[in-house]
Parts: sequence; structure tokens; C-alpha cells
Amino acid sequence: MALPLKYNIQNVLVRWRSTLATVLGIGLVVGVYVLMQAMAAGIEKSSANTGSPDNLMVTRKGSTSESSSIVSREQLRSLLYSPEIARNAAGEPLVSADVLILLNQPRRDGGGEANVLMRGVSPRGREMRPQVQLVEGRWFESGKREVAVSKRLAVRFANFELGGRFRSGPAEYTVVGHTDGGGSAFDSEIWMDADEARAIFDRDQYSSLLVRPVDVSAASNLVSRLESDKRLQLLARVESEYYTEQTSTAGPIKWLGNFLAIAMSVGAIFAAMNTMYASVGARTREIGTLRVLGFRRRSVVASFLVEGAFLASLGGVLGCALSLLMNGYAVGTLSFSTFSETVFEFRVTPWLMAKGLAFSIVVGLLGTLFPAIRASRLPVISALKSL
Amino acid sequence: MTLPGFVIRNAFRNKRRALLSTLSVAASLFLLVVLQTFQREFTLPPEDVGASLRIAVRNKVSLGQPLPARQRPIIEKIPGIAAVTPFTYFGGRFKDMEFTPFAQFAVDPVAFTNVFVDAKLPMDQLEAWVKDRNSCIVGEDTVERYGLKLGEKIKLVGTFYPVDLDLKLVGIYSGTLDDRSVFFHHKHLDEMLGGSQTVGCWWVRAASSEEAPGVISTLNATFANSAAEVRAETESAFQMGFVSMWGNVKLLIGSISSVVVFTLLLVAVSTMSMAIRERFRELAILKAIGYRRRELFGFILAESFGLAMVGALLGAGGAYVLFRSLDIEKLTGGMLLYFEVTPRILAFAGTVAVALGIIAAVPPSLAVARTSVVDGLKTLD
Repeated sequence: MALPLKYNIQNVLVRWRSTLATVLGIGLVVGVYVLMQAMAAGIEKSSANTGSPDNLMVTRKGSTSESSSIVSREQLRSLLYSPEIARNAAGEPLVSADVLILLNQPRRDGGGEANVLMRGVSPRGREMRPQVQLVEGRWFESGKREVAVSKRLAVRFANFELGGRFRSGPAEYTVVGHTDGGGSAFDSEIWMDADEARAIFDRDQYSSLLVRPVDVSAASNLVSRLESDKRLQLLARVESEYYTEQTSTAGPIKWLGNFLAIAMSVGAIFAAMNTMYASVGARTREIGTLRVLGFRRRSVVASFLVEGAFLASLGGVLGCALSLLMNGYAVGTLSFSTFSETVFEFRVTPWLMAKGLAFSIVVGLLGTLFPAIRASRLPVISALKSL
Repeated sequence: MTLPGFVIRNAFRNKRRALLSTLSVAASLFLLVVLQTFQREFTLPPEDVGASLRIAVRNKVSLGQPLPARQRPIIEKIPGIAAVTPFTYFGGRFKDMEFTPFAQFAVDPVAFTNVFVDAKLPMDQLEAWVKDRNSCIVGEDTVERYGLKLGEKIKLVGTFYPVDLDLKLVGIYSGTLDDRSVFFHHKHLDEMLGGSQTVGCWWVRAASSEEAPGVISTLNATFANSAAEVRAETESAFQMGFVSMWGNVKLLIGSISSVVVFTLLLVAVSTMSMAIRERFRELAILKAIGYRRRELFGFILAESFGLAMVGALLGAGGAYVLFRSLDIEKLTGGMLLYFEVTPRILAFAGTVAVALGIIAAVPPSLAVARTSVVDGLKTLD
């Protein structure tokens, strides 16, 4: 016969003094675990959130990312009027030839400098990325050394406020607009006119092309045509798929998160064991009474395991609550694929919280197992006699 | 029975609890040491032979923007410069690997050996390298890791450049902090690219450390307001530039460290309180026979301090021994290079443990001090 749950729950609550530290400890472990995973999730989410399945990203064959790709003007010309490519109302092909440039700029908080990605984007490029909205100011005009900066970058770098001016290369730029990429990778970019950027930075070539095929079959046509064209040496991928793959930065963070979780949980398991052993020791007589009443050993073990799991899950809930405080908080770090600052938000998802909770329960069960077995093995008579 | 004997006996009378407390302190301190070491790895510019003389010259825009090759003769004329080599990151893929754990750079072989004096290369290998434009030298670590042999061809698929390289391995260098890279002729890269006139950046060696600051300011001034302005800085400043790119990650590791310390404190205080609560009666008896509060605090402090110290020895010492004996560079595929547990980090962990031992003794001592002898004797468990 199983012991009533109420017995365990009240036990945990009555001894709140000794359990509080353990609950807090487990809570912090779970909090750190969930937050690290939320960071990785934020990076992945921002990548997965970027681009449209209707566009194709064309890069040089062999380059691993857009920023290491080169597309020549000849290559652009040979693609521009392909029948597969859609046109806008004015009859212009929906192709954006972009150039990516890394700018080393000072941070706002005086914490040194970091690379920022500047995208020279052609007029069609803005049409083709409706995800990026202007939230303040206006769009840049070509030829005037004007740029639009993501509002999330603006808070992180000096001089990126509206009307702010910064130098890079032979020119000085004015920030005329702030953009919002809706939590996508575009939130880590500065935009200016592509041909202007190419002229300023002496770039003969583009970095990548974004094209909008007429329909799905035209898209697969174009992909396979480029694939087989040995002369062009270009590779076309669905834009959204391209970005989904650019998550190499998330890997090490996940790894670090798992490592921390394991190392911290070892400490937490010891602490939980301590608490539960003390709890068992203090309740020796109680346990003896339970046994005399006819509760079997396995019921006592189960009962203590339930108690440990409950205690730890309190910690788990606390940890999840703590991590929720950070949900949506924007942080930035070096992206391995663009070698520039990538801004993303902590994403505490229900799935991560469930994992955190499960993790806390595992810690609780592991910490309780030995004390529970010990409790069940107490000789009944001496248990009753004990003070 | 002596006083130390009394304390030690008390500490270990519940062996299981003593062990668990020590282990949980040890686990946390181990983690603390790992985190601190990790942070140091990311924030410390490597100290290298000749590093104080070496100057990196990159495009002011960013490292991603090339520099014109025509800058070289101008740089060479600057007084106080011993050598200058082009230094272009090739970013090739080796053996179709997703992530190639070593970098490849195009350099001028003779100038390279004059700038990076710490890279040791046998004389005959150097000659062979200088002579053969399609050859390269490879760091000892990479050679060992992939079992490369002299004379072997090394194929690199360009990711940054639209060319693939097929280089003959003629030399194996060692003696730098990171013996992993591949170096090959810049002229070879220029040819492959059809007469390219750009380089990634320049590396310069100043003739003496007194001249280095002057060289840096001259370099910056020489190309100011030109089409390609440069940023010249010492090697350590250059490396520190990468550190600042990590952004919030640094702060994150710092905050996690504090959370670990805080958790540690909680656990230690609660364990100590548990241990004292168990023998409230005894402490009351000690009080009754004339021991003072101060002395009782001394007992508790000694016990808590001792447990914290043993934990520190196990945790921090364990980390030290572990990372000493492991080849971190090989294990992480070159992501982490040194992972050295420095005396400073050990001292930090020790300080945390000392503070822990003292703070954990306070709440139970207060409880003992507040309880009257009669109440203490009445307690049951």
C-alpha cells in the first residue's frame, strides 16, 4: 500500500528550514541550465526566423557562408534575366545583389570594439525582405552616405542612434533610420545601398544574390540549372533554409550549458542527499511507526522518492521562474558564421522549462535514492526506541 | 582529549554527512575553477616570445577588408621596422571537414621567419620552402594529429577564395603558442587568383621594444586619409580585440560563477546548521560546564572551516591535477588551447573556500549563542 502523497508534501513544507537551501540550490542549477539552453534556442530561433521560403540565396560554390562568398558582375548579368526569375510591377527582375562588409566599430558601453555586419542591399532587396521593417526615421538614400541600422544593434554600438555619425573606410555615414528584423538575423545588420557600399569599399564584386523565382518549379529548375552549370560555379539554396543552417554559434553554448548542468547537478545531488539523510535521521521513529502500521519497505522507499522528487521539483519550478525573468532579454556575441556581432534573445520555451523540471526531478530522485533505501532498512524495533 | 581532536571527531562523527558536504563543496569549487579558467582562456592575450615586438596591421574598416599590396614598400621604409610579411587568411577546408580546426595563411616565407622568430624550422626545410612556390609548412600539432608526412600533398578547398590549393608539405615548425597553422607562399595565392593585388593584413616586427610604439603611430599616420587606412596595434592589443567581440558571453560566465558561489554558500550553511542542530544538546552541556560562547563559536568555525578546506583541496586541486594531465588542446580539437589553472585562479578558489568556511559557521553559532542552556538541554533531536 502506498503512503498518501499528503504525508510527503507536508513533510517537505514543515521542515522548510532545512529544505529551503536545497530547494534554492536546485533552483539555481535548473535556472542556469534553462538559461544556457535558452541562449542556444535564441540563436537557433533567430536563424530559423530569417528569410523567406520564396527566395533563393545564390552564393559561390564552395563558400560556407554568405559573408565568404563572391559573386561577380558577370555572374549577376548571366542570371538577371533568367526566365525563372519573377518580376515586380515595374517589370524589373526580383534580384538583389548584396555586398557584405565587416565594420569594426566601438561599443556603446566603452567595452572595446567589435565587428558589425554591413549589408549593401540593392533596391529590390528591401522589397524581397518584407521581414525588415522601418521603425524610426526613414530609409537611406543612395549616394548620400546614409545607413539604416537595426534598433537592436543601435543600443549596443556607439553612434548608432538616429542622426548619429560614424566613420569607416574613406567615408562618414549618417544613421537615418532604425529597422526591426522581427527577431531575425537581420537584427544584426546595418543596411546601405549596395552600389554605394561597393564604391566606398572598392569592391568589384558582390557577396551574394537573392532571387525570387516565379514559382516552386521555377525555383527547383534554377537550383538544378546552377548545380549542373560548371561554368558559373554558383550554388542556390532556399533563403530560409540557408539561414536555418547558420547556427554554428549555438553548438558551443549548448555544450557549455550541458557541462555546467552536469557539474552543478553533481553538487546539487550531494546537497539533496545530505538534506534527505538528515530528514530520514530525524524521522527514524516516524518511519518505525509507519512500518509497524503495516506499510511495506517498498512503500517507504517510494514515499521518500516521491518526497525527494517533490522537493526537487519545487527547486525546478523556482529555477524556471528565475529563467523566465531573462526571457526576451537581448544579448550579443560573436557569430562564427559571419565573424560579427550577432544579437539574439533568450528564448525560454515551454519545452526547455519542461526539460529543466525533468532535470530537477532526476536530481531529486538521485539524491533521495540512498537515503530512502536506508529509511526502509531501519530495524523496526530500534527505530521505535530511538529518541 | 585535545581540542583539535574534539573538533575532528565531531566533524567526522556523521561520516556520511561530512563526506557529502565535502563533496558538494568540492564539486562546486571544481566548477568555479573550470569557469574561471574558461573565462581566462577567452580574455587573456597570449604571451609569446617576441609578441611585444610584433605589430599587426589591418584595415581600419575591419579584419575582413583587405589591404593593397602596394603598401609593403612604404611600410618597409619606416624606420624601426625589422621585417614585414603579408598575412592572408585563406580559410580553406581540409579533407571535406565541416570545421577545419587549423588556419592557413599566405605569407612571404623569408619575411615570415623574421617576424615570427619563435617559429622554429630546420634550416634545410626553410630552404626547401623558400625555393618551392607550391610548398607549405605546417605546425607540429596538425602534422601529428593528421599523421602528415614531409613531401605529402595537402589539399585545401577555398571557402573565402574561389581557388583550391594543392600544397607540398616541406617543413614542420614548432615553438609558437599555437603550432597548428599552415603557411604558404603569398605569391602562390596571388597567381592562383590571377594576379591579386591585395593582402589580408600585415605583420611587422619592430627592431626593438623601445621603437615599437613609434612604429605603431607612424604606421597609423602613414596611411591616414589614404584609400586604405590601417589600424596598427601590438599583438596583445590585436588579440584583445577578439576578446571584446565575445560580447555578453564574458559577463554571462561571470554571472554563472557568482551563482555557483552563492549556491555553494547556501548548501554549506545549511549543512553546517544541520550538523549543529543534531548536537544542540551537547553544546548546551558544554555551555553548562563553563565553555563560553566564543569558544563554542571556535569549535563550530574550526569544523566548518576544515570541511570547506578539504572540499577546496579536492575540488580546486582536482581541477588543477586534471587539466594538468589532460591534453585539452587535443580533446577540444583546438578550441581551447591552454586551459591552464593558474595560481591566481587557485588562490581565488581558496579565498572563496575560506569565506565559505567562516560564513557557514555564523548562523549555527548564533543559534547556539541565543539558546539558553535549559532550552538546549530540552531539545530532542
